[in-house]
Amino acid sequence: MDCINKGMEGERLHLVFGDVTLGVHGSFKGKEFAYIFSYVTGGPESLVINGMEWLYRTPRPTFWRALTDNDRGSRFQFKSGMWLSADLFVNYAGVMVAVDGAEITLPRAPENNQYTGHERAGSLAITYTYEAITQPAAQVMVSYLVNQTGEIEVKVHYHGNRELPELPVFGMRFIMPTCADRFVYEGLSGETYPDRMAGGVPGIYEVEGLPVTPYLVPQDCGMHMDTKWVKIYRSSTLDNRTRKAEPSAIRFSAKEGNFAFSCLPYTAAELENATHIEELPPRRRTVMCVYGAVRGVGGINSWGIDVEPEYHIDAGKDIIYSFCIS
Amino acid sequence: MEADIRWLDNPEVFRVGALDAHSDHRFYMREEEAQDGKNSLVQSLNGIWKFHYSENVPSRPADFYKEGFDSAGFDEIKVPCHIEMAGYDKIHYINTMYPWEGHFYRRPAHSLDGTKEWEGMFSQASYNPVGSYLKEFDLDKELLGKRISICFEGVEQAMYLWLNGHFIGYGEDSFTPITFDLTPYMREKGNVLAVEVHKRSTAAFLEDQDFFRFFGIFRNVSLYALPQMHVEDMWAKPALLEDGTGSFGLELRISMPNETIGRAEVTLTDREGRCLLKRNMPLPGNEKAVTGEGTEIICKLEGEKIGKVTPWDNHNAYLYPLFIRLYDESDRLIEVVPYPIGFRRVEIINKVIYLNGKRLILNGVNRHEWSAEQGRCIGRKEMEQDMQIFLRNNINAVRTCHYPDQIPWYEMCDKNGIYMMAEVNLETHGSWQKMGAIEPSWNVPGSLPQWKEVILDRARNNFETFKNHTSILFWSLGNESYAEENLAAMYRYFKEKKDGRLVHYEGVFNNRSYEDAISDVESCMYATPDEVRDYLTNEPKKPYLLCEYMHDMGNSLGGMDSYMKLLDEFEMYHGGFIWDFIDQAIAVTDEVTGQKVLRYGGDFDDRPSDYEFSGNGIVFADRTEKPAMQEVRYFYGLYQ
Repeated sequence: MDCINKGMEGERLHLVFGDVTLGVHGSFKGKEFAYIFSYVTGGPESLVINGMEWLYRTPRPTFWRALTDNDRGSRFQFKSGMWLSADLFVNYAGVMVAVDGAEITLPRAPENNQYTGHERAGSLAITYTYEAITQPAAQVMVSYLVNQTGEIEVKVHYHGNRELPELPVFGMRFIMPTCADRFVYEGLSGETYPDRMAGGVPGIYEVEGLPVTPYLVPQDCGMHMDTKWVKIYRSSTLDNRTRKAEPSAIRFSAKEGNFAFSCLPYTAAELENATHIEELPPRRRTVMCVYGAVRGVGGINSWGIDVEPEYHIDAGKDIIYSFCIS
Repeated sequence: MEADIRWLDNPEVFRVGALDAHSDHRFYMREEEAQDGKNSLVQSLNGIWKFHYSENVPSRPADFYKEGFDSAGFDEIKVPCHIEMAGYDKIHYINTMYPWEGHFYRRPAHSLDGTKEWEGMFSQASYNPVGSYLKEFDLDKELLGKRISICFEGVEQAMYLWLNGHFIGYGEDSFTPITFDLTPYMREKGNVLAVEVHKRSTAAFLEDQDFFRFFGIFRNVSLYALPQMHVEDMWAKPALLEDGTGSFGLELRISMPNETIGRAEVTLTDREGRCLLKRNMPLPGNEKAVTGEGTEIICKLEGEKIGKVTPWDNHNAYLYPLFIRLYDESDRLIEVVPYPIGFRRVEIINKVIYLNGKRLILNGVNRHEWSAEQGRCIGRKEMEQDMQIFLRNNINAVRTCHYPDQIPWYEMCDKNGIYMMAEVNLETHGSWQKMGAIEPSWNVPGSLPQWKEVILDRARNNFETFKNHTSILFWSLGNESYAEENLAAMYRYFKEKKDGRLVHYEGVFNNRSYEDAISDVESCMYATPDEVRDYLTNEPKKPYLLCEYMHDMGNSLGGMDSYMKLLDEFEMYHGGFIWDFIDQAIAVTDEVTGQKVLRYGGDFDDRPSDYEFSGNGIVFADRTEKPAMQEVRYFYGLYQ
């Protein structure tokens, strides 16, 4: 239970070396957090902040955006379609753990028998390796570095491979158990893309609900480029005891450079599958994607001309970015 | 004359019994009415009509127009509205292909040598729906005892008209007002108007626009009572001279009873009411034609000096109230015609277009008339919303793609300084481009003599109806209709008017041999920024604009800055018109969830279709702005 190992304010992280997972517990300035990183699912399985669970399933790298009409027009899917399957089925290939900056032998059973229930640390880093089912396989490494404040720094590294076709996007997808009420972000007004952000006005903006922009055929939407931070608010949970909860927020913030994100009730695959907005399934989750690279939308025509070259994503080059969760 | 159903098949018959196309001026019999716009000379026939739908001509109730016809079996329909939207015929969206693709093999009459197959092509087709409309009405009190005309502002796509059993006329040009004189057969009470509307005729070859294919009476129908003395047509010719003064000319065609006299008073004031010009012209003057029905008089003012004027443009759409008043011999006011006009000058100097001496920049959009609920049958409310969206987002120009719009839109553009490219109702895309390739083997209108008059008539309808609108800077010959002799003749028609406007046509791009014979400007659609640059750096012949660019289908409008930069790079580049303003989609109730949803081509079992290709707006079909709009607002605000 997430409430057992409550740390004292400002104390070092309390680590729980489970047989299958690694628990990290602590509190900071009145905020209590409890994270569980899994060796099986290949990533964090639980991020509880002040009693609210923020994960529905373990986050994964994302390699696809629902095709735009211009993508279809320029036959992007025929060139880069393998990234769709890569997005659907991400192969988790390995994990490494470091405590206070030093790598340790993976502490799963029975290696974890050496520990007690009282392990403390100043920081924990856990790094997962993924292989995309592209041919050849693309490799992604994602590390989660937890410090004593409970902040998680996420470092994402896509290893470029020149044999792979252009990417539509690259990022990390976090699926939350229920629909968010709203999100607030500091970045550009409206929806922006790399080739359509001149008109975006910097500021702090609040977006109610999780609007899906009602294009005639559902397609990628809701992108926000050049974002400093975004806070997502939820007041519902799947916890059978409560269901309704006090509104609570999770914050994604930029670390080195600003990021792009979209926060929608659907995955790219769900959007991709619908020919009309009413075919989308009932809204259940929050799908928060934090992107390190976004392809432009284009606009010259919708029957052949590609997005302008500077707004493509070259899969041959590494994509490295980071952000923080708190 | 009696109606002949074979007119549907014959491109040389497109207008029978109609009055000449004329200016869209409003006329009143009292000053107060001219002030408040309520007009007791007009009786609207909008509303519920009796209606019968038939799948084809042979199965229609051919005698429905006759007096004593028993219409007990008729349904009711709202006028105006599209017949398909009322639930009769299938809703169908298709882009360039002709709507009968895969259903009927058709070649335009005379397009291929020796073929006679066009006879009966539409009049005997197994599928060519007919709407038979009946309207009973009494004349309003104010209309009694006067000459009565009827104006259909839009009937798609061919119509026959009868009053009280008498054949009145026939017309085709779906998007232009057509007027008929009803006086000879008009009664005070118990009139029966019969309109037979055909889904397709030879006009179908000329109206292959990329849109939902509808038919029916889809714009206003009104009766007009004409005062004894009446301005049949007016052509105001304000001009801005290089020294900043104005000059003014006016041509009036006035009808009045034979053997009577009177006068026409013309006044032009500024907005504060200061008089700039006042002229009295005795009627009848020297130029007159006496007929059995009355006298038609032409009177003119030419080259009147006005002094310093405020030029009309997007930043200051200054309009001067012009009034024409007709008085009878006892100096009683018979008719008053208000028409606000602006002074502006469009010219090409060294291959650059100037408006009032300043380089013209077009921050434009193409605009279809559209409403998710009513299709192309829109009202003032939608037009006003559109204008607000234009103003809010720095849009300064509109191309009326690809047909004339409703009259109030032109007035709103005059008033708000929106530069118009006023397009003729013409597109023959499917006749010369097939599967993306230029293949004009049977294109119309081409150089076929039998297809010349019909498109000249469309040009004339457009010119005559809208010639007084200050906002129109360009006449456009239509869209995507290839380029041969008949388009060249249309171009000459507009040029001969010498009205100071430019004449635009994009289609010479596909047939460069007509480059010097058609279009004052080099116009392209969807050229890449580099292609624009190529033209402008290789001995360009004409100023350049993009009549369609930034195809905003779905989530699009990326890379706009690459086009905007061209304005900095080339004086001869004038911007363009985004494709397009509003998504064309139709609101229906979802058969599964019961919620109101938007549907597009192919959602009505309509095939072949081009599906979601009609969703290219910068606003959604419900007029909410797409996210891309902030980019439009930004760039169009930056370049003024």
